[in-house]
Amino acid sequence: MSWIREGELNLIEKISANVLKAGPMPKHVAFIMDGNRRFALKNNIERQEGHMQGFNKLAETLRWCKHLNIQEVTVYAFSIENFKRTKDEVDGLMELARQKFERLLDERKVVEKYVNIFVLGEFNMLPLDLQQLIAKAVITTRTHNKCFLNVCFAYTSRYEITNAVREMAWGVEQGLIKASDVSEALLSECLYSNNSPNPDLLIRTSGEVRLSDFLLWQTSHSCLVFQSVLWPEYSFWNLCEAILQYQLNHKSIQKARDLHQEHEALQQLEADHACVAEHLQHHGNGKPADAQRRQEALLHYTACREERVHDFLEALKHKRDSFINDLCSEDVLA
Amino acid sequence: MALLYGLLWRFLLVLVHVNRALVSWFRVRLRSWKGRLWERAMDALLLPVALAGFPDHQKKLNHNANSSPVTGNRTANRRSQWQCNGRSREKLPVHIGLLIAEEEPSYTDIANLVVWCMAVGISYVSVYDNHGIFLKNSFYLMKEIVRQQDLLGVEGSKVEFLSNNGSDKRQHNESKNIPDPELVVKFGPVDSTLGFLPWHIRLTEFISLPSHRNVSYEDLLGALQQYSTCQQRLGQ
Repeated sequence: MSWIREGELNLIEKISANVLKAGPMPKHVAFIMDGNRRFALKNNIERQEGHMQGFNKLAETLRWCKHLNIQEVTVYAFSIENFKRTKDEVDGLMELARQKFERLLDERKVVEKYVNIFVLGEFNMLPLDLQQLIAKAVITTRTHNKCFLNVCFAYTSRYEITNAVREMAWGVEQGLIKASDVSEALLSECLYSNNSPNPDLLIRTSGEVRLSDFLLWQTSHSCLVFQSVLWPEYSFWNLCEAILQYQLNHKSIQKARDLHQEHEALQQLEADHACVAEHLQHHGNGKPADAQRRQEALLHYTACREERVHDFLEALKHKRDSFINDLCSEDVLA
Repeated sequence: MALLYGLLWRFLLVLVHVNRALVSWFRVRLRSWKGRLWERAMDALLLPVALAGFPDHQKKLNHNANSSPVTGNRTANRRSQWQCNGRSREKLPVHIGLLIAEEEPSYTDIANLVVWCMAVGISYVSVYDNHGIFLKNSFYLMKEIVRQQDLLGVEGSKVEFLSNNGSDKRQHNESKNIPDPELVVKFGPVDSTLGFLPWHIRLTEFISLPSHRNVSYEDLLGALQQYSTCQQRLGQ
């Protein structure tokens, strides 16, 4: 089964989609695809078959998202915590991933299936051949820009945030940025998901009402919808229901987001002020600087800081791209 | 055509709002009906007024606060009943978060919630709102809490104020030993965490209640009951 199912919506689905699209639509939706094993138990099938059905449902959901003009989807496929499962189940999931990524590479020439795939997670926890497959898939689909699928594999949010902090520490150590450049905004730019906007809507299926270490930083101002349906049983109407919830919350969440951004900007300005004041104190001639000089110094400092941060983020991107490219070339050599 | 869909969409929203209004109206009616039924049942069976009686007790106490002091025996009885409620729950969160996603919070209601949490045996209560109102007016909230504490004769637990505004260094030091919140009860119609402790809510259960205004002890117990049925597999 391929990554995006083909086919149009039926008439009622089309009409409903058009009604929903008259309102604000989420551009990026995240899914916690929970409930595969309970589905398998309920239907007396093997767990592995449950996971397979889960993947099929993902393919169908991506088709619906395409018709609803939802450009970007992020899914929680495999958590680092899931390594605690039995060896059989973990091996089964790794094998499923191998099959699906190989399938993706076969399909890459098919126009309708142009999806930009990105994988977030701790690659070094995965078997090497799977790492190489993933690297190939990411590189091959890099240039696609119509729809984006981010797969969280061997991922937890805490590992991601810790890694971002580590990268910022590396930046300071290398002299690329100063310690005072570290901010909430910079941390967001150092996460694995820095190429994507934050999810507008997060949907968790199977009735659990927790985030389970998924995109904790990125979903702080997202609409959270918890639905009791099991993932393999997810329907177009469940998706519509979630989008409707998003639309009902849209104004108040947007307001909260704007407030948060304003506050972040204010904090950054205050931090810049403090740095400039300190600088002027140390390098001044003892007399307090006049307002104009302070303003000039502030503008200059802000411009320098932004340039520093930009160069640091470029260096980080280069580091991560090299890692992926190296994995790919290793595979070619092998 | 686009105009038609736009109208249909607006109509859909109206339907949803009407549905929600009806549901909340029924909920209020059901509670008051249930409350009366409970009281009659309790009277009939000669059982002490337990759950249903607490809000009434408290309201009476609030009225009498200025006139007569609380007697020792009544305090002890109430305290043991609360602890009984706490113990009868299969599991209780050590740290609970109260997320107020509403404009113009009511200090009395929040103070009530905090005191009830402490009475039931929850060690840490975090109160959060999007605008930092509680942080800015923490003194006033603390006064309300102390007032409710005295009225109901409850021992103190730790009350910490968080806000999305301001990164107080003191908070970082104090929050080192506090466990992650196992449960967050969200009040208000907004379906978002609104920036509440992103790092700490990794495994937190989220339970929503419609509003914190005139919230009752039963509402809180209902949320705790729902929490006790949550099963975490922790990845396995």
